[in-house]
Amino acid sequence: MEKISRYILVLVAILTFSIFLPDFYWKLFEKPNRSPFVLYSCIDKDFIIQQGRNRYDNKGNKLTRKEWEEKLPLLNMRQLMIYGLFPDSINGCIMDPHEIGLNKSFFRFKPKDMNTPQAHLFPLFESESGRVKIEMPQDFFRITKRMEFVDAKTNSVIKNKSRMFTAVLQKRGFAFPAKLIAGIPTTRKSCDEGYIVTDSKDQLFHIKMVKGHPYIQKVKVPKGLKFKYIACVDFRDKKYYCYLFSQKNEIYILTQDEYDLIKFPIKDFQPKKEELRIFGDLFNYNVIRLGENYTQVVALDKEYKKVAEYNKTWLSRAERKEGKVFSYIFPAQISMFNKYSDYINFYYAKTKGFNWIILNLLLVFGHFLILKRRKVIFKNHLIDFSIILITGIYGFLAVNLFQNKFFK
Amino acid sequence: MWKSIIFKEWLKVRWYLIGATLLLGVFVSYIFINVKHDITFQDANNLWYLILFKKYQFFGLIKYLPLLVGIGIAAAQYVPEIVSKRVKLSFHLPVNENKMLLMMLGFGNLSLLICFSIVFSIFISLSNCFFAYEIVNEAIITIIPWLLGGIAAYSLVGLIVMEPIWMYKIFYLVVTSMFIPLYYERGITGAYKPVNLTLAIITLLISVSLLFSAYRFRKGEM
Repeated sequence: MEKISRYILVLVAILTFSIFLPDFYWKLFEKPNRSPFVLYSCIDKDFIIQQGRNRYDNKGNKLTRKEWEEKLPLLNMRQLMIYGLFPDSINGCIMDPHEIGLNKSFFRFKPKDMNTPQAHLFPLFESESGRVKIEMPQDFFRITKRMEFVDAKTNSVIKNKSRMFTAVLQKRGFAFPAKLIAGIPTTRKSCDEGYIVTDSKDQLFHIKMVKGHPYIQKVKVPKGLKFKYIACVDFRDKKYYCYLFSQKNEIYILTQDEYDLIKFPIKDFQPKKEELRIFGDLFNYNVIRLGENYTQVVALDKEYKKVAEYNKTWLSRAERKEGKVFSYIFPAQISMFNKYSDYINFYYAKTKGFNWIILNLLLVFGHFLILKRRKVIFKNHLIDFSIILITGIYGFLAVNLFQNKFFK
Repeated sequence: MWKSIIFKEWLKVRWYLIGATLLLGVFVSYIFINVKHDITFQDANNLWYLILFKKYQFFGLIKYLPLLVGIGIAAAQYVPEIVSKRVKLSFHLPVNENKMLLMMLGFGNLSLLICFSIVFSIFISLSNCFFAYEIVNEAIITIIPWLLGGIAAYSLVGLIVMEPIWMYKIFYLVVTSMFIPLYYERGITGAYKPVNLTLAIITLLISVSLLFSAYRFRKGEM
């Protein structure tokens, strides 16, 4: 029994060391690696790259800050206006600041947005209240076996409202419960467009409340198309309600009022591991995918057709000097946090390659010398040797901290 | 014999256990006084909104209390045993030493479980009065690791107290102070969902860790 308790303690120590020692290492030696900021220039009709304080065009010519700003006039409009360098027209289009502002949009998605404890209760705002300001309703809805509104003050279901919305949803063919519910659950938005919802059969619906009554629109979705994430947006141009990521890793938008699903010409977007940024301006959309050691920028025109593409890779953390040294010390790493998720877990990451085996063997030998000094029977320590061989430095510390002294 | 051992354990921890339960009860009551106050002053819908979308933890006040209770019960139960090595008297009883230690551990763990269960039940009941079950579920997921941390701390403090060599006491303390924070990471509400079961299993496993240092103690390891 004591032996079992010792192995449990050794296990706990290995777990603890494999979380904290690599963490200390990275905090001491990791160097920042900034990804390039790349945008499509409507002047050059090519990409402009900013890496730290250095700026280049796509041919590798170095640009001054002012030249960079001039090549991206829609991004730097205010600064160029101060210089008096903002053009009157670009590509034959007269520059109207109001129009430029209207077409400006920015969307950012991080893998954490998807891997996070999702809310299951949402406020359904009044979309046509006739008031300038949107007001927070007194109740919140859930869509489980039916659509239920729960009054926050009394913590009880509002029967009439729930019945009314459930009936209309049923009439429109909604299959309860909902799988995804996406909206902008805040009063800080230009107007309310309700929620985009998928049901248990992956059908797509638009749900909002207009003058206290349900407005429910079923969206025509091509057969077999299923969505795994929806992000609603509130852009000034009001062209579309949301971005939708399909199960097949495609990106769609849902156009406002017409309810057309338009697919972006982006292949194999990995929302679990890639960040997505979409800059929209008067002429283009810059769709930026950012992975751990690569970026892809796709410039689209206003019809969402691909205009140009830029790709760049760089050394990942494991491939850099500090990563290579790490691979000689630590056989694996466990973290409680993950940059792709808001969830806490024991995230296990095995070190690439087998460089660590050298240190593990040295530690086995070191442990052998320690035991030799203690004059013990070696066959009673075979499990400890195996632990050190597999877990390396973590096991070596653990077995020497909780010593195997049962056989004296 | 067993009755007497249990009675001895009860005598050691009773006031502390009652005090800890009352303290936790007072804090839980205070949480809901706060909730009532927030609902009165800023409306229930705004409070719900903060909890659902800003991940406000209305129960955050009790985060480290289970940890303190766990450490306290371990100290109350095991410190008297090592003063003048009193535990050696128990080892001379005609009872299997490990069985007796497991009885002590079992008593401590059960005391903690009862204390936490009482307070946790009150917390859940009161939460259900004010909030929808979605909010209560997320709160439960968030609080569970804090309670498990208290139980793990009880086991590991017992291990440290019973360890005969000071140098090792310090080593164990270092490992414990690195391990226990795993239960109290700064995550958003509901973040512990995928790991709660694993933490519960680890907590269960380390509940027998005391046997190791107690073995070293009774064999006179120096």
